[in-house]
Amino acid sequence: MQASRARLFKEYKEVQREKVADPDIQLVCDDTNIFKWTALIKGPSETPYEGGVFQLAFAVPEQYPLQPPQVRFLTKIFHPNVHFKTGEICLDILKTAWSPAWTLQSVCRAIIALMAHPEADSPLNCDSGNLLRSGDLRGYQSMARMYTKLAAMPKKG
Amino acid sequence: MSSESTMNASAPALPKDFGKKKKGNRLAKLKQCKLDAKREQWLSQGKSKVKNGTLPSPVINQNHEKEETSSKNSETRSRGGEDSSLHDSDLEFLTYSPTNSSVSGSKDSRKNLHIGGSSSSSSCGSCSVSVSDDEDVRGEDDDDDGCLDDWEAIADALTAEDLKVQNPSLELPSGSADDLGKECGVGALKPDCSEKISQKVVTNCRAWRSDDVFRPQSLPNLTKQYSFPMNSERHFGRGGTNQGCHGISSQPSSCPICYEDLDLTDTSFIPCLCGFHLCLFCHKRILEADGRCPGCRKQYDSGNGENGIGGGAQKFRLARSCSMTGA
Repeated sequence: MQASRARLFKEYKEVQREKVADPDIQLVCDDTNIFKWTALIKGPSETPYEGGVFQLAFAVPEQYPLQPPQVRFLTKIFHPNVHFKTGEICLDILKTAWSPAWTLQSVCRAIIALMAHPEADSPLNCDSGNLLRSGDLRGYQSMARMYTKLAAMPKKG
Repeated sequence: MSSESTMNASAPALPKDFGKKKKGNRLAKLKQCKLDAKREQWLSQGKSKVKNGTLPSPVINQNHEKEETSSKNSETRSRGGEDSSLHDSDLEFLTYSPTNSSVSGSKDSRKNLHIGGSSSSSSCGSCSVSVSDDEDVRGEDDDDDGCLDDWEAIADALTAEDLKVQNPSLELPSGSADDLGKECGVGALKPDCSEKISQKVVTNCRAWRSDDVFRPQSLPNLTKQYSFPMNSERHFGRGGTNQGCHGISSQPSSCPICYEDLDLTDTSFIPCLCGFHLCLFCHKRILEADGRCPGCRKQYDSGNGENGIGGGAQKFRLARSCSMTGA
């Protein structure tokens, strides 16, 4: 318990220092609870998510870093590996392939990579996965882009 | 902070100034965040002067020390406190800045504590004492030059590195060597030279190349030249020169899992063939959990096959005993 707190505190320090280094990720710790974090990530370029800013919610277990943090999208996203309603993320490093050497920052990077490279064979969003698996790349991209505009971009007017 | 209270008790001469700075001192922790970013800019700008007000605590401490010093040396007092404090805060930044740019956050936080905490008063104090005493001996008027001359003398005596010597950042060790700074600055140069220079090696890890002729024999030979000057303040804080150099030869100096420092036992502890370093505590915790190496995600006892946690624990004990005897 104490170890996870100490580690999170040091990660917090590191995030403060690296803020400039990684402009695509903004990782913020909850003011009152160091086990709750929020991240804002920019959709990677040349994907349907480009231009959108997606919010992630981190719930860090007390066994962290031996246990992975629980991450979900707060912003609605149309992606094969993200549950459309709950925002749950299907990503191996958040489950079986977790390593204590990962940090919250590196998890954010992994999620950005997942956005750029969806894995249609283990879908949480079946509609999105089916579009990709049936080869309808255009359909997937236009759906994803639409939801990016609807949910992840600032409202105009 | 404790340094604040002692300062106010012993040096009531400038209450207004102190009150202002004390207020700033409370915000110092917040400002550290800004400072971290700013320091990197400073680093890129080279040796440009640091503004006086940006780091309140060292300046205050320095003034406080100045008061004490003035009881010994009245001449010191005649010099403007403002420019000398500027010099010292400058020096403080130079002291820590080389380690700042390339190391990871754990060291950075430690360094911040070091600057902001009460220990900074000792380092600042020692440096101001040494500077002022040198001034008295030499009868010169410029802080920077005096200090630099001092160091050039040392450097000439040792015919040490040329680049670092000409550089103003050579002031580094006198500020960073908490305990040594005082005696070195005050006393004779020659006997302390080796000690001081070895301190410098720890502080600025690029003082000697491994093939350098003038490299002291006492330094351990590193199998691999480390590419960045990391974690120096921690090692001089601990005072173990050999240990420090040994620890940074090829691996991180802090455990990548818990971010705590690796001690000598930990650094010689490589539980997995992939070479992933971690501290014994974290290794034990991992063995109690899923027992996979964080570096390669293989079971720690992959050689034994299906033995699971028991085999891993056995190997863990074995490895530890080996490393203990090695240490």
